[in-house]
Amino acid sequence: MACRWGTVLVAVVLLAGLTAPAARAQRRGGTLTIARPVDAVSLDPHFETTAPGAWIYQMILEPLVALGPDMKIKPVLATGYRVIDASRIRFTLRRGVRFHDGTPFNAQAVKFTFDRAFDPKAPARWASLAGPIKGAEVVDEFTVDITTREPYAPLLYSVAMLYAGIVSPAAVQKMGQEFSRAPVGTGPFKFQEWRTNDRITVVRNDDYWGPKPYLDRIVFRVIPEESARMIALRTGEVDMVLVPAPSQLAAFRRDSNFVVAEAQGQRVVFIGMNLTRSPLTDVRVRRALLMGTNRKAILDNVLEGAAAPADGILAPGVFGYAPMELDRRYPYDPAKARALLQEAGFRPGPDGVMVRDGMPLVLSLISARGRYLKDAEISEAWQAQMRQIGVRVELNFLEWGTVFTHVRAPQLDYHLFTLGWVTTTADADYSLLPMFRSNMAPPTGWNTWRYVNREFDRLVDQARVSVKAEEREALYRRAQEMIARDIMFIPFYTTKEIAVLRSYVKNFVPHPIEYNQGFAYIWLDK
Amino acid sequence: MSRFVLQRLLALVPVLLGVPLFIMLTVDLIPGDPAALMLGEGATAEMVARLRASLDLDKPLAVRYVRYVVRLAQGDLGRSFREGRRVNDELAEVWTATAELGIAALVLAVAAGVPLGVLSARRPNSWLDNLVRVTTLFGLSMPIFWIGLLLIVVFSLWLGWLPAGGRGTPAHLVMPAFTLALPTVAMLARMTRSAMLEVLREDYIRTARAKGVPGPRVLARHALRNALIPVVTVLGLQTGQLLGGAILTETVFAWPGIGRMIVRAIFARDYILLQGGVIVLAVTYLAVNLLVDLSYAYFDPRITYG
Repeated sequence: MACRWGTVLVAVVLLAGLTAPAARAQRRGGTLTIARPVDAVSLDPHFETTAPGAWIYQMILEPLVALGPDMKIKPVLATGYRVIDASRIRFTLRRGVRFHDGTPFNAQAVKFTFDRAFDPKAPARWASLAGPIKGAEVVDEFTVDITTREPYAPLLYSVAMLYAGIVSPAAVQKMGQEFSRAPVGTGPFKFQEWRTNDRITVVRNDDYWGPKPYLDRIVFRVIPEESARMIALRTGEVDMVLVPAPSQLAAFRRDSNFVVAEAQGQRVVFIGMNLTRSPLTDVRVRRALLMGTNRKAILDNVLEGAAAPADGILAPGVFGYAPMELDRRYPYDPAKARALLQEAGFRPGPDGVMVRDGMPLVLSLISARGRYLKDAEISEAWQAQMRQIGVRVELNFLEWGTVFTHVRAPQLDYHLFTLGWVTTTADADYSLLPMFRSNMAPPTGWNTWRYVNREFDRLVDQARVSVKAEEREALYRRAQEMIARDIMFIPFYTTKEIAVLRSYVKNFVPHPIEYNQGFAYIWLDK
Repeated sequence: MSRFVLQRLLALVPVLLGVPLFIMLTVDLIPGDPAALMLGEGATAEMVARLRASLDLDKPLAVRYVRYVVRLAQGDLGRSFREGRRVNDELAEVWTATAELGIAALVLAVAAGVPLGVLSARRPNSWLDNLVRVTTLFGLSMPIFWIGLLLIVVFSLWLGWLPAGGRGTPAHLVMPAFTLALPTVAMLARMTRSAMLEVLREDYIRTARAKGVPGPRVLARHALRNALIPVVTVLGLQTGQLLGGAILTETVFAWPGIGRMIVRAIFARDYILLQGGVIVLAVTYLAVNLLVDLSYAYFDPRITYG
């Protein structure tokens, strides 16, 4: 089943030296130092699902199955699984595995982990991403069923999230909340030390059940300032930088001492439209905004190759992705955009801004600054492009917590908003249902545009309960077709996961989901 | 004197009562729900409500406030919403880092700023005086970010003498302490200069010179000691500046201090962590100013604490 589900290919671009068969023998030993901009919030996967925490705990805690760099499901702590129906999957567990504290791994540990994450008294952040999972049922010591409250076809993808790492029940009971500072799992590396806002160190687990890692130790350092991070890489203080400075990538690409590794990411950044506010209630106006947008210019000039063009709300690689072909349907054409606005009743006003019934065409936009790569710069460049077609955009830059609250409020007082979205489960259900289904308007879901389309609702509902991959793909293709017709957002880019490493760092595998899982089998050739 | 100290310590009570109230009020007023931010994009309204309840966020402000103050009286700053970690533990770590940086910067500032001011005042309008005045103006007006990056480029990238950031060895401390100290050096040099010029005009200096006390001794024993009172006052006030500048310095040099922790807490609306940080900063500031006040008696024996 997994193979048929994961038929999608992801362009994982590996530069020279990474894919080539190792010319020299892999070396054991050494310390790898990695710099990144922010510290982890917590190392407990149930409560921390952002990358800075996940980068570390995914080497300590392992899920039953995981999404490989090719976006296919691979076994980890489960050796196999069987889909019983759309609300139950049976996993066969690996035998002879022990947690770092000596506790044996078995079905009880899986049940303990799921009970903890889905405890209604203390909802975990993972639970909010995982869909309607009910919990785990022990079948025998090495067999466990994961079940859902209602039919949920993407269940396997939810279990494959890194946040589903199995925790040592003995350690959790002993450590309580301190577990989040020093997690105990089954992974190839063990937790060693965490100095807040400075460094987190993991060391090799010599009793690992799988292939032993080469490195003795990995140190994750926090260097918030972009230039300082790149300088630390140049001086050799660190061996690798995550989230590098986009403006410096070209220089590092030219330098043979370094390798720039990248993978197609999953986050799509877009400007969304509020369909409940005039004149965005009119599809012609929405199309005009799209056709007046020179997305290529923004990508080339603002993002400087640090991201890939986006063509919809899903990134390629997500199950159910279908190209929306916005460039073909709505190519950049300012004259056509103006014509569409005139069709909708607007006339050029005295200062070049379109006017209808004496009212100038002014749209308000809300955006954070720095939440997503170049979010504010994109809004500014787009504002200038809109001016060309006679639309005045008023920018409101607010801090992310405030933007989040505004966009999530029952009523949105802005016409437009800059947001990003990751299909975290790598299944279209995760985006198409909460973002576009009629009943998912805030504060319930993320239908921030307030899109209402009963036909669309039926498609995503049907896709959620079907276990036939081809059928689901067809349903999602039709659903995306409707979004392309009705237009409620302008997608700009899909993130790239980029890391810069010194050329002696071998065997790093960038992963589409925030480079996760790529660090465990690195070795150093120096 | 012990009464004076006691009075000053009692003045802490309204601060300790006021800071939590003020922060709770502002966090309640500004948009951004800690629980919603914690659970992120995928959470349902029901999950957010449950998390709010488990964090006591659904309780009225008065209840939250009283609970906090009761715990505070027992020396417990609570548990961070987002990290689940004891705020006491976190603060012990970050406060030490910031104190280390702040003390180093303060020592550096005094060691450089005061002598520069004295030299400058000794011969007003000489080339040395002009040089000091121009460079201190430079030191006051350069943004910390720019100075910090400049130092990193020169001393880490070009010369390779110092690590670009992080905390550990004394070498790690050099550049951040220098960067943080720079505006204070400039401030102290200018302050010392003008205070010295003032004092040097006094009669007792003329008397000292007249009775044949050697020049350096006049400067050090008679003039500087009297000029230091306004300088020390400014130094106490500068501590606040140092704590504020520390946020930027800590960011540029990846220094794991309290400034960055507070910024993180604000963005996460983690008001328990935020409160702890602000309380500790306020207490530090008040303690420094108490020390400054106590030091007056040393510089001017006429000052007593009744």
